[in-house]
Amino acid sequence: VCVKKRKKQKFRTFSMHVLTLYMVKVYVSSSEIVVNEANFVRKCIGAESCQDDLWGKLVCTNFKVSFIAHNSLPRQCTHRLLGEHDIPLACVEQVVTVNDVKGKQKILGSNQKLKFNPTELILYCKDFRIIRFRFDEAGPESAKKVCLAIAHYSHPADPQLLFGFEYVGKRYHGSTASHSNMVNGVDPGGGLQTPLFDCSSDWDREIKRTGASEWRVCTINQGYFISPSLPEFFVVPVSLADQDLKQYACCFYSQRIPLWCWNHSSGSALVRMSNISDPQQQRKVEQRISSAITKSHPLRSDVFKSDLDKNLPNIQDIQAALLKLRQICVIDSFEESEEKWLSSLESSRWMEYVRTFLRHAVEVVYMLESRHVSVILLEKEDRDLSCVISCLVQLMCDPHCRSLHSFQGLIQKEWVMAGHRFLDRCNHLKRNDKEESPVFLLFLDCVWQLWNQYPAAFEFTEVYLTVLGDSMWVPVFSTFLFNCPRQRAEHSRDFASSKSIHLGQDQALCFPPVWDWSQQFSLKDQTLFNNPLYVGKIATCVQNGTVKTFTHRRSKVSC
Amino acid sequence: DRSSGTRVSDTELRVYKDPSKGELPLLPEEHVQDSAKDVTYICPFIGPVRGSLSVTNYRLFFRCTDREPVFGLDLPLGVLSRVEKIGAATSRGDVSYGLACKDMRNLRFVHKEPEDSLKKSVFEVLMKFAFPVSNNMSLFAFEYKQVFPENGWKVYDPLAEYKRQGLPNESWRISKVNDHYELCDSYPAALVVPVTITDEELRRVSSFRAKGRIPVLSWIHPESQAAVVRASQPMVGQNGRRCKEDEKLLQAIMDANAQSHKMFIFDARPSVNAAANKMKGGGYESEDAYQNAELVFLDIHNIHVMRESLRKLKEVVYPNIEDSHWLSNLESTHWLEHIKLILAGALRIADKVESGKTSVVVHCSDGWDRTPQLTSLALIMLDSHYRTIRGFQILLEKEWLSFGHRFQQRVGHGDKNHTDADRSPIFLQFIDCVWQMTRQFPAAFEFNEYFLITILDHLYSCLFGTFLCNSEQQRLKEEVPKHTVSLWSFVNSQLEEFVNPLYVGYPSHVLFPTVGIRHLQLWVTYYIRWNPRMRPQEPVHQRYKELLAKRAELQKRVEELQREAANRTASSSSERAGSPTRSITPVQTFV
Repeated sequence: VCVKKRKKQKFRTFSMHVLTLYMVKVYVSSSEIVVNEANFVRKCIGAESCQDDLWGKLVCTNFKVSFIAHNSLPRQCTHRLLGEHDIPLACVEQVVTVNDVKGKQKILGSNQKLKFNPTELILYCKDFRIIRFRFDEAGPESAKKVCLAIAHYSHPADPQLLFGFEYVGKRYHGSTASHSNMVNGVDPGGGLQTPLFDCSSDWDREIKRTGASEWRVCTINQGYFISPSLPEFFVVPVSLADQDLKQYACCFYSQRIPLWCWNHSSGSALVRMSNISDPQQQRKVEQRISSAITKSHPLRSDVFKSDLDKNLPNIQDIQAALLKLRQICVIDSFEESEEKWLSSLESSRWMEYVRTFLRHAVEVVYMLESRHVSVILLEKEDRDLSCVISCLVQLMCDPHCRSLHSFQGLIQKEWVMAGHRFLDRCNHLKRNDKEESPVFLLFLDCVWQLWNQYPAAFEFTEVYLTVLGDSMWVPVFSTFLFNCPRQRAEHSRDFASSKSIHLGQDQALCFPPVWDWSQQFSLKDQTLFNNPLYVGKIATCVQNGTVKTFTHRRSKVSC
Repeated sequence: DRSSGTRVSDTELRVYKDPSKGELPLLPEEHVQDSAKDVTYICPFIGPVRGSLSVTNYRLFFRCTDREPVFGLDLPLGVLSRVEKIGAATSRGDVSYGLACKDMRNLRFVHKEPEDSLKKSVFEVLMKFAFPVSNNMSLFAFEYKQVFPENGWKVYDPLAEYKRQGLPNESWRISKVNDHYELCDSYPAALVVPVTITDEELRRVSSFRAKGRIPVLSWIHPESQAAVVRASQPMVGQNGRRCKEDEKLLQAIMDANAQSHKMFIFDARPSVNAAANKMKGGGYESEDAYQNAELVFLDIHNIHVMRESLRKLKEVVYPNIEDSHWLSNLESTHWLEHIKLILAGALRIADKVESGKTSVVVHCSDGWDRTPQLTSLALIMLDSHYRTIRGFQILLEKEWLSFGHRFQQRVGHGDKNHTDADRSPIFLQFIDCVWQMTRQFPAAFEFNEYFLITILDHLYSCLFGTFLCNSEQQRLKEEVPKHTVSLWSFVNSQLEEFVNPLYVGYPSHVLFPTVGIRHLQLWVTYYIRWNPRMRPQEPVHQRYKELLAKRAELQKRVEELQREAANRTASSSSERAGSPTRSITPVQTFV
């Protein structure tokens, strides 16, 4: 009792201070609204003792779970959208409420009831954080309400309820079109050097850069009339006419016409293709496509088909591995798992999968570079494993891709435009767990492994890769919010019309891509993305006149 | 530059672009003892390679003749721990030889026996020169007479080092009681002890501590005066013997630090082992006899366990790695677990000294294996001086060499007795721990990874006198500094090879590394460097040098600009006296 009293006294001394703090606390933009809050909440810091715990106010907004500590001075925030104790709602994986007196525990979803007063709230986060709040001193009703609010707002019923829509929509309000291009005080497209591959000129440049003279930009999917999951512009062999493509489109899964990814300097092409759904047409169409690719090769070389579904783990395997990895990283007791750490890591199979992807990419590189043949990456839907492999192949072969802007362009080209289902794979709506899979994270891990083996070959740093991975859970970027370009276009159009937003010259709401790093970080902080060891594009790629390859590589399995 | 080309290659199969340069490099006083053509090296990575083999009094040199580009093997004989004939001669008269090395590789050669049975095979010559000590010959270090611009034997001056630490002072004196190594033959001549303890009392203490290794100061905190003291185990025995001078000495050590009324005794051993030592007359300090002292066991295993762990590690990494079970195989060697315990122990010591302002006494059994591991790692954490290139050399000279880590015994220089139970990779473990810290604090160390690997290579090479003998006394007796070259002569004459371009040098930072197994890595570039598939894919070393050059250039430019700015202020203030002085923005350097 004595201790409790002293603590309460502490509150009183601080409460005035809190108030001022709260007043100066500026939210992301006028689009962020406080939904619910509870005071006198304790954030647990240490696992064993509570001596480092923080007291403060727990706030749920439509964007994040925020904790405003009473007794800590406002730190200079390094992140422009998130404070030290903030968790974006999209990052919350599971909301667990506990009443340790009654021994009750409940996982909360959206629109649910809670029959007990929670004494503790545990937030399991997608980025492996586990955050605990105690309500011993908070009012039972307000504690319950804030828990329910967090649970509800972290399960948006509709993609348009993701914070990004409010965030972007707000800038079209109450200002003239000329001033409206600022998001969070920053112009989203301004000075962006990353090609987004949403226009034919970006593709033209890529064709020119790689010397793929026998390939052309195809525009038949403008308005997404042919394939719902393909971008409006993509690249095909010159020998295939638009008429042929339209005819073949219906044979492919989701009408996905095979996409050109990249040309090796030898003229070998890297192409990605979905399964042919019509078995009767399969042989014929496959042959036509192959012969067109052959015709586009300067040596008229054969085409090698690389079946990714057969050789690589599927998205469920990858998800299962991540769950095991998380189990051993953050859920199992640190002390107990210490001795068995390496073998547990091995049994999670995560590293094994990283290695499998890298090895497969090396095999593709070998075909392109030493056998001088073009390669088709074959995957049922062509929207997951192909993204990883095509990017890794290009990173390994093409030093251009290892600069920061080209790396971003690469992700734009092979993930965003090619229609990787970020919305489903991130499970932002928490609706279908079966579709959730950390394919992109796996890719970043593969890049990290390469980065470790070639510390001077990449312009970016480990910090950059980490921050890129974390940005998946900040739901304001066009990059990670949608399943394909068409979905983005539709949702932004619908949202604009439902909110009577006048788009002005824009065709749809302009979400900032994650590549607009000024949304999140100051220019000074962005310098942490630059690798001091980077030797530049030219120096690494050409050694004694030959392009350096990575064929003799073993995945360095370190941890 | 071959004339001073003492650099031990860090790649097993050196690629000679120009075959004429594949000639045998010879050091001063190095002479070819025998050579043979038609030797086949069974390379585990590229298969059999035919070539010629030469044996000198310093190295084994193999140059392949049947393939392009030309491959070579160039290793000092000192790294060999065993040379043996494997099996009988084949019908064609071929004999197999296996060479086990101290640096994590094994080599196999096949060679036709000479038909003339009186003529010795090149491998018999090899056996003689690989183990000079067993054959009553001197180590190559005593022949090698290379002259370097700097004399590395002058790097460490104990009195200068103690002076740097502010010693002697009102509580600590430098005793000459061991000037002729009469008190303890494995300790250095200069010892720092509390002023209140007389030399006579020290003599009594020496009879109570194993091998006479009394508690003496290693390091003192510049502010709190908390001291790191090292010793060997007390000879308590089964009957719980006590020694009042020893108790007085420890009390005096505690009293020398006014900040704390307590002290910690860190016994590096597992408590079971420490207790078992009582049967052999040893043991540990009882808390009855040493009031205000708290005894902590650090659970670090003995030299035999460590040797076995490294043997297992070699099995797992050489020659081939089983990819699918790599992590669990690595775990089964327990190597990283031992590294963790050593680092964790050192961390606890550094924490007690820095955060607790408490003096500590560190010992194991004899105080010459686990003790220097712990004290030197704690010192690296506590004192940034030891993270510089020269400071690290001083640390090795002091904590390891002068305090009698038994290098001759643990490494077995020139000794053919490869099964000797006294051999153990204690020093290697220490360097591994340092490497782990450089990973966690990439900007805190002046030296790079190549520096650490160079030290380990010359631990075995027997080219330099630095790691010879077991104690300071022995080195003096053998006149090692007079007859051999110091490794530091070689290192300090080409410092640019060893400088870490990311070094910032936080002068007063204490490093507290994270010691969880999750934060430790296998030092692949050392342990698995012979496997061409595990080699770093890019010459980072070269890049480091470029960065250093770039930094020097920028630094020069900054200085120029600063001078220019200073001149301008000077001229403008003289010209326009009375006018408001413009403030000059200082040029910030991030170098």
